[in-house]
Order: sequence, then structure tokens, then C-alpha cells
Amino acid sequence: MADSLPTEFDVIIIGTGLPESILAAACSRSGQRVLHLDSRSYYGGNWASFNFSGLLSWLKEYQQKSDVAEESTASWQGLIHETEEAITLRKTDETIQHTEVFCYANQDMDDKIEETDALQKNPSSLTSSTLTKPLDSACLSEETHSYVTSYEMPAKDIPKNDGEISLEVSGVEGTLAEEKYCGDETCRHTVSGGDTDENKPIEEDNTDQLKRNRITYSQIVKESRRFNIDLVSKLLYSQGLLIDLLIKSNVSRYAEFKNVTRILAFREGKVEQVPCSRADVFNSKELTMVEKRILMKFLTFCLDYEQHPDQYQAFMQCSFSEYLKTKKLTPNLQHFVLHSIAMTESSCTTIDGLKATKNFLQCLGRFGNTPFLFPLYGQGEIPQCFCRMCAVFGGIYCLRHKVQCLVVDKESGRCKAIIDHLGQRINAKYFIVEDSYLSEKTCSNIQYKQISRAVLITDQSILKTDSDQQISILIVPPADSGTCAVRVTELCSSTMTCMKDTYLVHLTCSSSKTAREDLESVVKKLFTPYTEAAINEEELTKPRLLWALYFNMRDSSGVSRSSYNGLPSNVYVCSGPDCGLGNEHAVKQAETLFREIFPSEEFCPPPPNPEDIIFDGDDKQPEVSGTNNIIMAKLDSSEGSKNLESPGKHLEN
Amino acid sequence: MLLPLLRSSCFPSSSPGGGSGGGSGGGLDAGAGDRPEAQLQRGIRGLPGPLERADVEPGADPRRAAEAEGAPGPGARGPGAGGGGRRAEREPYACMDPAAALQRRAGGGGGLGAGSPALSGGQARRRKQPPRPADFKLQVIIIGSRGVGKTSLMERFTDDTFCEACKSTVGVDFKIKTVELRGKKIRLQIWDTAGQERFNSITSAYYRSAKGIILVYDITKKETFDDLPKWMKMIDKYASEDAELLLVGNKLDCETDREITRQQGEKFAQQITGMRFCEASAKDNFNVDEIFLKLVDDILKKMPLDILRNELSNSILSLQPEPEIPPELPPPRPHVRCC
Repeated sequence: MADSLPTEFDVIIIGTGLPESILAAACSRSGQRVLHLDSRSYYGGNWASFNFSGLLSWLKEYQQKSDVAEESTASWQGLIHETEEAITLRKTDETIQHTEVFCYANQDMDDKIEETDALQKNPSSLTSSTLTKPLDSACLSEETHSYVTSYEMPAKDIPKNDGEISLEVSGVEGTLAEEKYCGDETCRHTVSGGDTDENKPIEEDNTDQLKRNRITYSQIVKESRRFNIDLVSKLLYSQGLLIDLLIKSNVSRYAEFKNVTRILAFREGKVEQVPCSRADVFNSKELTMVEKRILMKFLTFCLDYEQHPDQYQAFMQCSFSEYLKTKKLTPNLQHFVLHSIAMTESSCTTIDGLKATKNFLQCLGRFGNTPFLFPLYGQGEIPQCFCRMCAVFGGIYCLRHKVQCLVVDKESGRCKAIIDHLGQRINAKYFIVEDSYLSEKTCSNIQYKQISRAVLITDQSILKTDSDQQISILIVPPADSGTCAVRVTELCSSTMTCMKDTYLVHLTCSSSKTAREDLESVVKKLFTPYTEAAINEEELTKPRLLWALYFNMRDSSGVSRSSYNGLPSNVYVCSGPDCGLGNEHAVKQAETLFREIFPSEEFCPPPPNPEDIIFDGDDKQPEVSGTNNIIMAKLDSSEGSKNLESPGKHLEN
Repeated sequence: MLLPLLRSSCFPSSSPGGGSGGGSGGGLDAGAGDRPEAQLQRGIRGLPGPLERADVEPGADPRRAAEAEGAPGPGARGPGAGGGGRRAEREPYACMDPAAALQRRAGGGGGLGAGSPALSGGQARRRKQPPRPADFKLQVIIIGSRGVGKTSLMERFTDDTFCEACKSTVGVDFKIKTVELRGKKIRLQIWDTAGQERFNSITSAYYRSAKGIILVYDITKKETFDDLPKWMKMIDKYASEDAELLLVGNKLDCETDREITRQQGEKFAQQITGMRFCEASAKDNFNVDEIFLKLVDDILKKMPLDILRNELSNSILSLQPEPEIPPELPPPRPHVRCC
């Protein structure tokens, strides 16, 4: 049922990443007519999450050479007037580079890889022929999963090509063959590139490793829909801008969250848990009594450090790590504070370190024992939640909608309209474009930073404890002064991001080189490639790595507006994901842009309370809807009543 | 095997006698003017229709305490209600037992809800007990092509309203209705697409937590039926495997314009294990309650009682509590069509 797009809006937003989506919700909420577009078939752009086969499809896009010339003949030329000029937008995305995939899990050819659907098809009705066409072909097809979209193509191809299991995947990896180190031991065991005939099963000597169930690659593909793999790895600070915005605007009702349950540290080759709340500190078996007292004292001071300038004034000039050395903290406590609590680079100043520590501590206890929350189904849900809010207030959404160019009035220099891929001209007053859509010409002055990312599927936690359902964050300090700290987030299956008995591990750092070069050493420290387990007995204690993806993502977060060439005054730019742990940058950016464009409007106010609206003239109860600040978290009863405590309580006497 | 119409019976009458009654229905209740406590909630009556955006947004009321997940949250603090702990909750409703339901039915559907003066009077005199909070919260989504009547079905069920002129769904987020089935009080949260299906841009997040999915097509428009596989794809990809599915052919009131036969609908549903089928009319209020109640019943049948425990142990947080009291119904219509 084709529906035509209206052609007049107040605001057009191109890109459905987090800042754009927050902005869309804010605009729509304040009564603007919003058109929100994305060239992709999914929401989120570089903030999106994918199931496993979806991720493979996404990868394919970056591995195929694009045939479309970036600045090909503009079909919009006939559509603009003499008084206008056009600013073309990109046709293809170039924000992802250096993708590398390593598959260590067994790719036994005898396993039939079929992706399981949510639905079970009723076999008795498969011969039905009276239905509409698409249905017929779906029903009568031999594939068990009929309703596949292009995303599922990798899996879809597989049953047809018996004996060519993981056709798509090996295709993917084939093109990467050149990129791999051939000398590296781990590479030997990855799937060989090129054609599927080379697809030998990985060594069968694994069979003597009976302690752990072997998860095969085919199982991963089969359970593809259990995976929700985020392109960007972040957490939500429980006292952070994003959480506060989610609650204030009521967007939080579209999502659910889980507590990050552990803060970890990697010291002297071992992973250990960092005690950060009062209870943790006192219950810790790793700290001595003296250490406990010292740590408590220090953390208590940090909570309101500004009140005790004498404690740090003298050290304003030196680095936080230097400062910590003077505070009688033992080396392991210094490590905890610097890397696992403040989570700053070693070179950061004392003030910044104290600020960061305080920020962390203030977040404790709001919802749980650590400062962080993680959204169920992954970070990719959050932009969608804001998009929904925008839609509820009238925003119109079009995925798969490319924009050819912006149309600028020569005289005023303002942008008047866009022209989409169908040649349709759509007018608006304000335009927001995500960085990745802007052409090379527009961005020619910009030197982008990069984010190095790794996504791993593993079979065991990096710190095994009684409960296997833990969500953990671990900061691995830089190995040497040149590199950056690596942030590791380990997600258990109850976050709905990976299949049962696996973990999804995300690694992030600011790029120095390719993602693999930046991150592989950490991966090796923490994990053992699945197939190598037989080689080294010691390695058995480490979790097995089943599958790994490395990629670099453009970091456009630090780019100032003036760096872009020739942007009209009513065209604004949203950046892609930044490298930080929280989402503060995205929220701040959205809010700043909103206030610039609509200075007299409130930013994401809570929607009106239905109870405020009475229709039959009875007594009105003037309920104020401004009480959204009250947090009513429902906690696991076993966690006790940590909610609603003031954050400092954990450290108070 | 249809369930008795419990819709109107699930709402307490207004509580003119004061105390902890929930939303007062206004309407036929004489005592509606009485507002004994600041905590008394008023519900929406008869929403004008989905076109009025801001007005029609029901949903989370952050003042109300969390419930239904089994772990009673800390008391909500209403504005001006002082530190009062849990908000006033509704009294248990009198007619939850089958006998009452039968009585109501026999009476031509003059529900025991807000519209029944005799009973509400009696109730008004009764001392208010704190009602049992809902045992379950269930999320149900409605999907289908534009114009098939998704919002109409929902609004017919939750508010017993129908607005023919209302073409676009703007401002409707979700609606809540509490039903009682199998001895359990269930808060049903029914989500609408917010119009994102117009250009095939429904978010994957929309499907996530849905325990039930109502897939709607218009029996008078073939293309909406042809679109069904497309919706099935999305369900396939993003919805939970445990979600109950229900296919609904809407606009049964337009029999003369019918383009899709009942058999066609049945056949489609047969292909999917566990997918039920029925035809309905939001306009004529035919089969609407049955749809939702049947769906909830199916969900409950599948859901063992330890679902609550499971959810607790998963410690899933919701940052805002759900409103305790769903939008209030207007008085029930004088005659209800039985199915």
C-alpha cells in the first residue's frame, strides 16, 4: 500500500543515531512536524545492533567494493531552480574500516546450519496453494525459514548449498584473508578464505576437551536471533544525562534495563573484582583490613572532595596517578581507583580524577550495586525508543530513504529542501544531518579520529563465579604509554544479547592503529582461541573465544561545526558515536542543538499525564506531572532495598 | 469457546463514599463529585479520538508505585500526597466471580461497572479495602498495515470508543486495561504502532517484550491481507518465540465490501503454529473484547505461575512504574452483542 510522503515539514533529520533520535523526539514533542529519515533498512546507524546474521550482512556491505561512484551524475539537477544550488550527500557510508573476522568455533560441515525463526511453521499447511503469491512461495519453499529478509541471507543460502556451509561467512572471511597475519598462530585456525571447498572442519582433537560443551559455529548461526550485537559499546550511568533524560521524557518506558553487576580489574595477569560500594569493600576477601579502611576513607573523601581542598590543592599540577600515590593507597588500590573507578587515562589531572571518582560513587545505589545499567537487547534499542517518542507525537519515519542532496537558496544561503532518491523534493525549515551522510567535499578539512572495536563471542566468563549471569565492565590499562586503555564489557545471555551459554564481549578503545592491532593483545590476555585449547593446559582456565570481529569506526564526535565546508546556517550536524563509556556526549549534543534551533522550547518535557485531562466536567484533580524524577526501580528482591538510597549512603556511617 | 465479557466488570465503580477508590467513572455515578483524598486518581473518560495528540497519551504515571512484577516497589509519592507510601489502591471488585458475570450478562450487559447505579451505590457504602494489585503485567502489540483499524480495535477495547473520522494515529502510545482472568488480575498494556507502519518503519524494539501480537488486516482491502507475510517477517525476526499470535480480520461491519473470505484468513493462520484467527468489527464492537481476552487467556495458559519468579530472578529494571489505574471506562453500552 504505497503511501506518499508529505512534502512540508518543520524539521528534516537524516540519520537515526542516538543524538539525531533524541533531537527528533525533542522537536516532535515541542510540536514541530518532523520527518526522520535513514538510508538504511534499520534504525540506529552506527549505534545500531544486529543479530548474528544481520551483522554478517552488515559486514558484507563494507567488504564489497562499491560500484557506485560517489559523485555520479546528479539526477537532481533538473529538480532545482536557477536560484538554488545543491549540496550533495553521500551515496555510500565510509565510516567503518579494517573489518576482520576470526571464527574459531567448529565449523563441522555435517551440521546443517539453519537459522531458527521465532515461528514454527505448520507443516501440514505447506501445500496450501490458495493463498496470495508471496505466501505461496514462502510456504512451499524447502527452506524452513520462509520469511527471511535480506538480512538473513547468509543463513538462507546455506541449506540450498549442501556442503557449502557458511557460504556467506567464508565469503566474508575470504576477502579478509589478505588482511590477516599469516604468521600468527591464531590465524591458522580461522576459516580459510576463498571458496567453500576449503572449508575444512577445525581440528577434531578438541573432542578430548570434554569439560566444556563445544559450541559450534552452526549453533551460533542457528541461534542468530538471540544475538543483539551493538556496534557501539556503552553503558548508562545511573546518574547520567541519558538516564535522566529517559526518565524525564518518559522514553524509559519503552525499554528495560539490567544492572551491570561487576566492576573488574586486570592486574598482574589476573582478573579480579573491584569492590566499589561500602558493602563490597567490607565483604571483600581480597583486601586486608587496613586496605579496606584506607579505601573507604579515600572514597568517602572523594564523594565531597570539594569540601576538603586542603587534601588536594597541593597536587593540582600533577597527574591523578601521582596524587594517588601520596594518599597511602596500596598499589592495587591505586589501580582500582585509577582504572576501575575513575576510569580515566593515567595522565589525567588530579581534579579530573577526583571528579570522575565522585561521579562514579554518586551513581552507586541508585538502581544497584554498580553505577551502570545496560539496556535489555542492547544499546541499539535506545535510539529506537526516542524515535518512537517522536512518532507518537507525529513524527514521520522512513527507513530505506536516501537523500540525494540539500537544496540551498543562493541568495539567502539557507537550505530550503532536500531531494530524495525518488526525486521528490521535500521542504523544511531546519535540517539535521548526521556526519556520515555528508560528502567528502563537505568534510574535506576534517581529520577524523577512530574508535577501535572488537566483538567477541565466548563460552565462559572472564571471571567465573557462582552465578553465570553477570554483566561486567573491565578496564585494561594501556600496555605502554603510547596506547590507550581498553574497555571491556562482558554481557551474559540474560541481557538478551547472546545465546545461552555464551557471552558477548565488547572491546573499545580510541584507535592508534587498526582495531585488531589495538585490541588483539588484550583479547589474547583474556581469552584463548577455541581451537587452541588443546595446546596449552594452562589456557583452559581462560574462556574460549568462539568468534571475533574487529573493526574501526569513525569518531566524528569532536568535530566542530565550522570544520564542515559550506554548511548553510539552518543545517546542523550530529556526530556519530564517541569513545566514552556513557552517552553524555550524545545527549549534550542533542540538547545543545535543540536549544540553538528552538531556544524558547522546553527540551523533552514529560508528556502530559492522562489523568490531567478530564472530559466530563467533574472535579479536576490538578495532578502535577512533574514528578517524573522519582525513580521507582523494581529490583530483584535478593538485592535488598538499595533503591532510593541517597548515593552517598553506601559510604556513610 | 469464548470468555465471558469481563471488560466492564474489571473496573471498580467510582467511590463517591470516599476512600481509596480508583478512578471514578463520572458518568452515571451520582457521587462522582466527591473527592475525598488527594490521592484519588481520575481516569480518562471517552477519549475524543486519536487526532488530538497530546491528550490521548496514556501510559506511565511515574507517581504510581510499581507493582505487578511481584516485588512491590517502594511507595509512590504523589504530588502533595505527602510521604504517604503506597498510593490509594482500588478495592477488590465485587463481581469477579462467575455468578456475577452471568448476572451481568443476563442483564443485557448493563455492567456492574460504573454504570450500574444499584451496585455502585452499594459499593459506595462499603468500606474500601486496598485492592489487590495486578498479578501480571502483559504487553501486547498490534501490528498491521495502515488503515486496517488497529487503533480502533484498541480503543474499542480499552475505552469503548470508536471514531470513524480519525484516520491517523498520532499521539497514541499505549493503553492500559486491567482484566481478570483465571483468577488473576492482569494489567494489559496494549501498544500501538505510533504510525510508524506507514512507511514500513516500525522499530525492532517495538516487538521485543510483547507477549501477545495481534496482527490485523482489513477484510475489505486485499492489499492489507497481502501485506501479512511482510509482518510475519518482522515478527519472525524480532518477536519473542513465546509470543502468542492472533490474526484479526477487521471491519466485519462492511460485509458487503468484503474482499477476503473468512477461509482465507483461517488458512493463513493455520500455517503458523499457535496462531489464532478471528474476524471482528471495532465499529460495531463485535468480537473486540473476545480478541483481547482470548489472547490474554492463551498467554496465561502458556505462562506458568513461576513467570513472576523468573522475571524477578532476571532482575530486569523498568525505570518508571506503570500507572496502577488504567483509564476509566465510560458506562457500558445498553446492549452488548454476544458472540
